[in-house]
Amino acid sequence: MRDTPLSNCERDFLLKAIQEKKRLDGRQTYDYRSIKISFGTDYGCCFVDLGKTRIMAQVSCELITPKENRPNEGLIFFNIELSPMASPAFEMGRQSELLVKLNRQLERCLRNSKCIDTESLCVVSGEKVWQIRVDVHLLNHDGNLMDAASIAAIAALCHFRRPDVGIQGEEVTVYSTEERDPIPLSIYHMPICVSFSFFQQGTYLLVDPCEREERVMDGLLMIAMNKHREICSIQSSGGIMLLKDQVLRCSKIASVKVSEITELINKALENDKKARKTGGKFGFAESLPQERITALKTDVSHVEMSDVKEKANEIVQRAEVPPQTVPSPVLTAPGTGQVGEGLENSWGLKEEEEEEEEDETVELKMELEEGHEEKGRGDVVVISDSDSEEEDVVILNQVTTK
Amino acid sequence: MALPTFRKQVSLSPSLSALDGKDLVVPGDVITSDTGFMRGHGTYMDEEKLTASVAGEVERVNKLVCVRPLRTRFNGEVGDVVVGRITEVQQKRWKVETNSRLDSVLLLSSVNLPGGELRRRSAEDELTMRDYLQEGDLISAEVQSVFSDGALSLHTRSLKYGKLGQGVLVQLSPSLIKRQKTHFHNLPCGASIILGNNGFVWLYPAPGQQDEEAGGYYTSLEPVSLSDREVISRLRNCLLALGAHKVLLYDTSVLYCYESSLPHQIKDILKPEVMEEIVMVTRQKLVEQEG
Repeated sequence: MRDTPLSNCERDFLLKAIQEKKRLDGRQTYDYRSIKISFGTDYGCCFVDLGKTRIMAQVSCELITPKENRPNEGLIFFNIELSPMASPAFEMGRQSELLVKLNRQLERCLRNSKCIDTESLCVVSGEKVWQIRVDVHLLNHDGNLMDAASIAAIAALCHFRRPDVGIQGEEVTVYSTEERDPIPLSIYHMPICVSFSFFQQGTYLLVDPCEREERVMDGLLMIAMNKHREICSIQSSGGIMLLKDQVLRCSKIASVKVSEITELINKALENDKKARKTGGKFGFAESLPQERITALKTDVSHVEMSDVKEKANEIVQRAEVPPQTVPSPVLTAPGTGQVGEGLENSWGLKEEEEEEEEDETVELKMELEEGHEEKGRGDVVVISDSDSEEEDVVILNQVTTK
Repeated sequence: MALPTFRKQVSLSPSLSALDGKDLVVPGDVITSDTGFMRGHGTYMDEEKLTASVAGEVERVNKLVCVRPLRTRFNGEVGDVVVGRITEVQQKRWKVETNSRLDSVLLLSSVNLPGGELRRRSAEDELTMRDYLQEGDLISAEVQSVFSDGALSLHTRSLKYGKLGQGVLVQLSPSLIKRQKTHFHNLPCGASIILGNNGFVWLYPAPGQQDEEAGGYYTSLEPVSLSDREVISRLRNCLLALGAHKVLLYDTSVLYCYESSLPHQIKDILKPEVMEEIVMVTRQKLVEQEG
């Protein structure tokens, strides 16, 4: 199904806002959305939330015969799938340009950078090697798929454990997880993709574009880097002309972001390892927060606070005197006070059944009125017994509260 | 904070009694295990059992069982008023997006060209199509016919239809719009509204006297006054509140919602608790008006 088209008004609004250095969700130019990484119960399953973009990566392995020209190296196979769950524009089984682009970029980022030691995946040279398969599923599309996919893929690879293999002469035994602990993959470094979107022919730049911003952008620059400041791959799409210092600036920003994200991934892996060791609960179901029905609950939204002081002063100066909400009690007769006009009891209680409650409410009302009267008058007056129907008598000049 | 006031019981009984005849299902619900029925739209066979695949009510016509979904794309009928956006300009026709499964079609012969209605469409008209309607323009039109594949054919052969000028578009679900005799209303609060059957609602400032006769493709670009804009913003937020609480939309309900939202600030209407309060008061008034 075709995606809903972006109207001219929305496009103009977005471009104008970008010119004024404002983004739809209130982020700064170089800010990433909040990244949440969680792992499943199986080793090698990772969920990544980049704002509302949601991606799942699953790593699995199997023994196959290696390639002829590389008999002692294992194989890694990447597969990204755009599920129709993510966006109505995606159709199952349709090879779209976006899909091909994402697959190629992920392969370049992870395979060509040699971040995984493929020689350690060899079992019997020339006969049996491990093939690691990374399946990345897109669950929700809200922009910047490449970054989220690369984070999910590398986190899943770091989390994955392959079965232990024992070789005795000619025999090869693959031990199951119960027999021997599975072994993690040997990963040299973690390449992470950072996307920069350009607007107005390269004048304005945004990091981590959301879906709306992606629709109005002129071009995209993807830099894959690791935390040792080594660039693994650069790709520029959209046909924009970029200057040398622009690309250098982007790479500097990318290195900062990559180190932050790498730390995040490491922390998530640590937490997961701790949870598994201590026997605590781990997995996808636990990572979901307890959702209670709170109609008034909203997410924390960032507010721009730069000119709050001036605005606040302005508002205070221009504000009128607030109207008196509580009218002062009217003293109709000595010993009584009345606040507000006499209204009918609006609690809607039926008289036949709930007489007692009515009495109580009437008493309550009287209490309230007298309470007001006491607060209204500062005099020291003793309420005489004859007026009130209550048992307790409150004497004002004593510091007692009812 | 809202203090308790005596509210007349907005009883669900009128709707409950209507529900006696209706059968609501959710995806996965077994409709029947009887194999004698033919399955229609919204159902599938799951191990000899007829199961629903969409959330809606079950309709039974003799031996045919189908489920009509509550929230779906717009399925147009002849005579529906729609508000749509031009997505493509093709040879002798425009493609209009109307929140349905397929883009609707607006033929060049179905529009009012300036210079009289009975003019024959020349080749020159084809080349200057873009001068009348471009990609991204909003139009109001009526459904003339439905093609065999389900695509709608629209026409704007009346002065009240045509390109829409300054205003606000609110996109809601088509099942929330009540079918009425007329979908163009001039609300007494100072704005006008077009309730498209496809869920697109267009709010615009009440037209002056001279604009009534122009019609068609005259869009005034005069600046709209602040008070008009405030009314339209308030109406838009009210529509969003009604849409969030699944209240049937027609001119009376929109008006009641507007009135009950007046004590609040326009931007406060978007808060969930204020939304709830306004919609409750609106429902109250609607129930009182009925009974």
